[in-house]
Amino acid sequence: MTDSPSVAVAEAHQPEPRWIETRFGRFRVDERSVLHFAEGLPGFEQNRRFVLLSSDELAPMHLLHAVDGPDASFLAVDPRVVLPSYRTVLAIGDSLKLGADDETPLVWLALVTVDPERGPSVNLRAPIVINPSRMAGCQVMPHNSLYPLRHPLGGA
Amino acid sequence: MLVFTRKRHEAIMIGDGVEVRVLRVGRDGVRLGVSAPATVSVHRREIYDQIREENRAAATIAHPVEDLKGRLRRAVTVLQVDTEIADGTSGR
Repeated sequence: MTDSPSVAVAEAHQPEPRWIETRFGRFRVDERSVLHFAEGLPGFEQNRRFVLLSSDELAPMHLLHAVDGPDASFLAVDPRVVLPSYRTVLAIGDSLKLGADDETPLVWLALVTVDPERGPSVNLRAPIVINPSRMAGCQVMPHNSLYPLRHPLGGA
Repeated sequence: MLVFTRKRHEAIMIGDGVEVRVLRVGRDGVRLGVSAPATVSVHRREIYDQIREENRAAATIAHPVEDLKGRLRRAVTVLQVDTEIADGTSGR
């Protein structure tokens, strides 16, 4: 895995920027910042187009926000922020889906969840992988991964 | 639902690219071999369900973002301390 999510996928470029409303404020995006998730995400199969939004308010997290289909918005963080040794090998099929080869810089993100009882955690088991050069993304579920679905995010 | 009776080493085809073969039949389970194109995702159902439920939970966070940021900062700090110990640069 290489590079960091600070590859500002949602940086505004012309033409035809538009504003989208999120619970973390308004962001300006344009068509070139749209990421294509060919299969959506498990549970959100109808959402195929997302933007990755960044702001000081969210850093080091980002907001993976659907721009089509039902409302879907996820807080996400580079898994190495919580586990610097984090490393997962991309399966061949996932590489094909992303149009990536071994040399392609990829952005890896772990989704943040807050369970009312267990508290906040990050999903290291099934990370989001983005190939910025193709603006393609998917959620991967590596077989036999030892990383947990719920890696707890420290005490309050 | 289509139901088949298959013996060991027998298989079914799904479409023209996916084969599911019975490799072994034991008392507690059946070992299956799945051959599919690389771009076809194959997962144990319960793993897929877990990830789907976790995604749904992740999409409905009503938790203060400042608290999450604080936790992430502390996660980084703890790991930096660990690194210093490993490098022998702490405890001076």
